[in-house]
Amino acid sequence: MRSIKEKIAPYVLLSPYLFMLIVFFGYAFIRCLYFSFTDYDLFSPPQWVGLKNYLNLFRDFQFGLALKNSLQFAVIVTGFQTIFALILAVVLNQKIKGIRFFRAAYYMPSITSSAVVTLIFMWLFQKRGLINYLLTLVKTGYPIILTFCVFTLLIQAFFIFIEKLKERPVSFFEPSFLFLSVMLSLMVTLILVKTATVTLAEGLAPIETVWLNSKKRWPNSGVLGISYPLGSIMVLNIWTTAPTFMLLYLAGLQDIPKELYEAAAVDGATKFKTFWYVVRPQLRNITFLVVTMGFISTLQMFDQVAIIGDQAPLDAVITLAYYVYINAFPSSVSPKIGMASAAAVFLGILTLLIVLLQKKAVKS
Amino acid sequence: MKKSFFGVCGVLLLVVAIFSTVSAANVQVRISGWGGSDQAIIEEMLRLYVNPTMEKEGITVLYEPIADDFQRYIVNALSAKTAPDLFYMDIFWAQSLIQAGQVEPLDNYLAKSKILKKEDFIPSLVDAFSAQRKVYGIPKDFNTLALFYNKDLFDLAGVAYPDENDTWNTLATKLEQVSSLDGVYGLALQPEYARMGQFAYAAGFQTFDQNGKSNLSHPGFRAALEWYTSLAKSRAGIMPADLGQGWGGGAFGTEEVAACIEGAWVIGHLKDQAPNLNYGTTFMPKAPSTGERGNFIFCVAWGMNKNARNKQAAFKVLEQLTSPEVQQWILERGLALPSRVALTDNPYFKQNNREAYANYIVFKGASEGIVEPYSFGEYGGRWMSPIDEVLRAIMSGESTVEEGLREAQFRLDQEMQR
Repeated sequence: MRSIKEKIAPYVLLSPYLFMLIVFFGYAFIRCLYFSFTDYDLFSPPQWVGLKNYLNLFRDFQFGLALKNSLQFAVIVTGFQTIFALILAVVLNQKIKGIRFFRAAYYMPSITSSAVVTLIFMWLFQKRGLINYLLTLVKTGYPIILTFCVFTLLIQAFFIFIEKLKERPVSFFEPSFLFLSVMLSLMVTLILVKTATVTLAEGLAPIETVWLNSKKRWPNSGVLGISYPLGSIMVLNIWTTAPTFMLLYLAGLQDIPKELYEAAAVDGATKFKTFWYVVRPQLRNITFLVVTMGFISTLQMFDQVAIIGDQAPLDAVITLAYYVYINAFPSSVSPKIGMASAAAVFLGILTLLIVLLQKKAVKS
Repeated sequence: MKKSFFGVCGVLLLVVAIFSTVSAANVQVRISGWGGSDQAIIEEMLRLYVNPTMEKEGITVLYEPIADDFQRYIVNALSAKTAPDLFYMDIFWAQSLIQAGQVEPLDNYLAKSKILKKEDFIPSLVDAFSAQRKVYGIPKDFNTLALFYNKDLFDLAGVAYPDENDTWNTLATKLEQVSSLDGVYGLALQPEYARMGQFAYAAGFQTFDQNGKSNLSHPGFRAALEWYTSLAKSRAGIMPADLGQGWGGGAFGTEEVAACIEGAWVIGHLKDQAPNLNYGTTFMPKAPSTGERGNFIFCVAWGMNKNARNKQAAFKVLEQLTSPEVQQWILERGLALPSRVALTDNPYFKQNNREAYANYIVFKGASEGIVEPYSFGEYGGRWMSPIDEVLRAIMSGESTVEEGLREAQFRLDQEMQR
């Protein structure tokens, strides 16, 4: 028979966190739900209007844009960051010297502040910024790149041919020969460039794509096209969040017993088949976690849109969370707390639905 | 036990008494404005003019500048009842605060005041901060747009300076000619209604017609849009963003453009960033169809919180903040244009330097041609955003004027129906 003290001890220990949860989440959520059924401008008392806010949401052109952008962003970013996280984890799971350095280096993008990264990427994506410069280099430098690749291929083929003549088994991608071919080819290309036999292509216009300040869509202007600024934000988001999930996959990979790998090797499976049929199913639970967390955070993307500000047209980058923000704190008119709350409730329900759908898809 | 009890009570009473006498002698009035360069100016103004006078009346002024988005801050503070007693109100969003009943009407205080009278201020400015025939804010300064041009670049190209007789067409020709210089473009074309709208007003466009709707297919608006965006087709004009600049003043300071359309705020920026830039100032060019110029009035006023604790003290501080001495001091430092009628012929304007002349042109701009206040009723910034977006699209070649007009009208109707 436990004493009263022992019975209430857990609750006492939980109470600080429970207090924060109830006040900042519970009370705030209920208040938001209440406001979504009212007309409230922060000054006069809220007036009950029932479902009018929700109906107005679906009539609002900007809400439709925000919904479309959010869904595009969520699907594409979650998809790519899961794939990259998995690939990175598999690559970094090897037991070679110096792997610890690479793990730390590849994880770096995740520890940076998203505000700072967005600012830096805004600079990189300028019309005369670094990314356009690098693309222009590739465009005008294609003769040099082509020469290098051709020579690498030729020298490698030459080495392999000699080995095959000696009837020794060797794969085309033999690393030691590959290294030699790359080095020799580099030297040859350098000589050719110095003697001006091969030069940068002349007369080509530099690439000056406008990444941020544009409403152009890729691949086409239809509903499914991704606008350039949103695409840029997607690139930077994938780059910064894939490493976080790579850690989860790494942990999962450590859990796979070696016997499974050995069994697959005995059965004669190639590296890729091992990955696809042995490793991937073992990581199913972690994939579910990564995709769920991915969806939840990408559906709520806000800070990149806010920092890019008026460098990009609002229609091209607005997301649901930013739509809530500009309705709650508009730039010069009275706030529309009712609409903002309705949009926030909608976003919450949408996130819940997507996660439930995904759970069903995994279970089946 | 009883002794110590009474002892503690006695000490407490004494402490309370001391605090109450101290607070009774010293009333605190909180004022707030925006931060940045404004902060240093206001602090010095308080030190030189306001604090000495207010100390004699037992009032301490507490200045709390807000570094970031002021309008969002003030809306939240007023709703949470923690707002300062006196705060800036920008003409752009003042009406929404006034309609929400958060600002104290000042007519009674003005009637009883010996120093501050409504008639002392430029009427169009006071009207912008009035509603239902009550005055809610005292304008502290104002600004209009002027054409700033780089005299050295025009001399190099051998082109006559833009002057007050220029029309849109003659100005476009001059800009074309000056852009023949290497690495120089004509006019900085900010893709914003705030820098293009005055041309529409000059051609007869009105923000809201008699039915309260905005008709962008009005010939005046179309003419202004076509002319403004046509400059970007040649080197006669360029968007500052295409030069990596955030605004026209920035591009003008680096001498990549020969002219820009800005208000008197660019004078301070140029003094800082390009002190040797030899610039001249003139009025907006006239529209060929009407022969009139157009302009915007940008204005900021001091407003009083309806829930201020000590309104009499706050009004006394307001009297000092908008006094003739303070406005004269600010004018002499070239910081802003006075809103008091008495200062219109101030000797400062007659000085023979480019800054005084620029201030003079900006000041005169408020009474030249068709001048509209920079406010859009209950729509605020949302009214301008469809037009800003279309300006950007047309000038970056992503859209034609026809498509742009249709898109802008569609989105504007959407915004106005929300």
